[in-house]
Amino acid sequence: MKTLFLKDMRYRQARVVLTALGITVLISLILLLGGIMNGMRIQARQYVESTGADLWISAEGSGGAFIGFSLVIEEYMAFLNAGQGLVPDSASPLVFAQARPNVRGKSTKAIVVGYKLGKLGGPKRAIEGRMFTPSNFEDYRPEDPVPYEVVVDEKMGLEIGEQITLGDEKVRVVGKTESLMFVLDTPLLFMDVRIAQKLLLGNTPHVNMMVAKVNENFPVPEVATQYDEFETIETRTLKQTVGNIIEYYVDEPMKAVQFLRVMLWLAAGILVGMITYVTMLEKTQEIGVLKAIGAANRYVMALLLKQVALMSAVGVILGLILSYIFATAAPIFVAIHFLESVIVVCISFVVCCGSGYLAARKVIAVDPMIAFRGEI
Amino acid sequence: MTAIVEGNGLTKRFGTGDATVVAVDAVDVAIQESELVMIMGDSGCGKTTLISLLGCILTPDAGQIRIEGEAIDPAAQDMSVIRREKIGFVFQLFHLLPYLTALENVMIAMDLARTKTDAAENRAMELLTQVGLSERFHHRPAQLSGGEKQRVSFARALANRPKVIFADEPTANLDSRQSDNLMSLIQELRQEHQTTVAIVTHHEGLKKNADRIIQMKDGRIFGE
Repeated sequence: MKTLFLKDMRYRQARVVLTALGITVLISLILLLGGIMNGMRIQARQYVESTGADLWISAEGSGGAFIGFSLVIEEYMAFLNAGQGLVPDSASPLVFAQARPNVRGKSTKAIVVGYKLGKLGGPKRAIEGRMFTPSNFEDYRPEDPVPYEVVVDEKMGLEIGEQITLGDEKVRVVGKTESLMFVLDTPLLFMDVRIAQKLLLGNTPHVNMMVAKVNENFPVPEVATQYDEFETIETRTLKQTVGNIIEYYVDEPMKAVQFLRVMLWLAAGILVGMITYVTMLEKTQEIGVLKAIGAANRYVMALLLKQVALMSAVGVILGLILSYIFATAAPIFVAIHFLESVIVVCISFVVCCGSGYLAARKVIAVDPMIAFRGEI
Repeated sequence: MTAIVEGNGLTKRFGTGDATVVAVDAVDVAIQESELVMIMGDSGCGKTTLISLLGCILTPDAGQIRIEGEAIDPAAQDMSVIRREKIGFVFQLFHLLPYLTALENVMIAMDLARTKTDAAENRAMELLTQVGLSERFHHRPAQLSGGEKQRVSFARALANRPKVIFADEPTANLDSRQSDNLMSLIQELRQEHQTTVAIVTHHEGLKKNADRIIQMKDGRIFGE
């Protein structure tokens, strides 16, 4: 009776469905938690890499750009541009500050990026609308009639022409960029560096950091080391900066989540194993009957393994599909790695089948009379 | 007469240490070909354990079992072959597979013996008709009465033409009318299939059907 295992599963469909769902939920949770961490890592590097800058210069003692408090005086730009190893005139000022703009009457988290249009530090063009009106950086006066304009990430859902409030000032949305968010889906607001200084730094002639491009004939790490030797600034390469951001914004604060993830892995492994183990043990009486009427141990083992394999396969595949669906619908950016999901699915499947096998082996090892009396 | 099943010095203990119970204590017993033997005694006297040992669904701690003169060695032999080829078992609680129909419950025994599906189906229908269940082929155990379930159980036990059928309290869950009907059926089937039957019961009213009665007490046989 080749379909015996299917008949049994159909008869106990409620239990089979619940078991498969239990596996599904655990697999989804593991993949989603991993996806959230991956998403944060991707967003941590997204903006920094998009700038095209090779060097990130911040104030001495700040621990590098994006890490500690950093204010750098503008005069360093001239020093950097005159230095060796950089693309001439590539050094550019950057304001990078967390803000709480009021959007449609609601206070929202965002990061303001103030940079010189056409230089390193922000997008060169908008995917919709236009870029903000640039100020004359070198000859800027606070009374200059530079409009308060901002270019926002399209995911913010703002319309061109709409106004947001930054501090006490109204800022008009003039353009949109594509997929430039910071960690935990924090949207970036791009504006002229002088306007950013005015709105967020009280009009002081400081910026948070500077960025520069290294001449292709010079090795980036060596140039970074050369500038890092100056006492008043810290210079990091792109790789170091990305590493710092991931460590500071993702790995450090998410240590508890990482721990939780490991615990979830363990709990999932034990739970999934227990579910299949107990499901198999519950069939003890029937296994006893089958053995009593002449079923060989290998027949019973094959019957049980077919069931546990089918149930596990359905559970892990559903878990995989659901995690991708949830990732799309999640309120934050979730990036599930395909390879990671394959590994999770395979390990879970092996754990399920392994537990089922252990339980089945325990059950078939006893005499039928003991088994069908449930005295295991 | 030839002994179809024979047990010598059969002993079975359950539990460990102070909680050890000797369910069957050095019993010698022989069941002759074609006879209907009843094993009787109070609850807990070891009669179910004894037929479980003789029916090879429980391994003795000591002693030797012979079926048709051949010594059984559970450690060296594939017991599943013996169970499906030589023995039929009927349980007190029927133990039908709940997800199979009456017909499939009988066929499964033959399926295990690798009988072709068509042949198995024909024989299962024939047996179920003999036990009066021709209208119940496609009913699941939950849709059958206690008496009907027990008859399916007998049909399953007979499916592979065993040398001996062991029945453990087959009438325990039946009313007196169903019990009488079942005993009549057993007699008929026994005549027709030339099968040896050993029944465990504490139902005194069934004594009249037996060729021989084995009395047990405290794990030992004390009279026949």
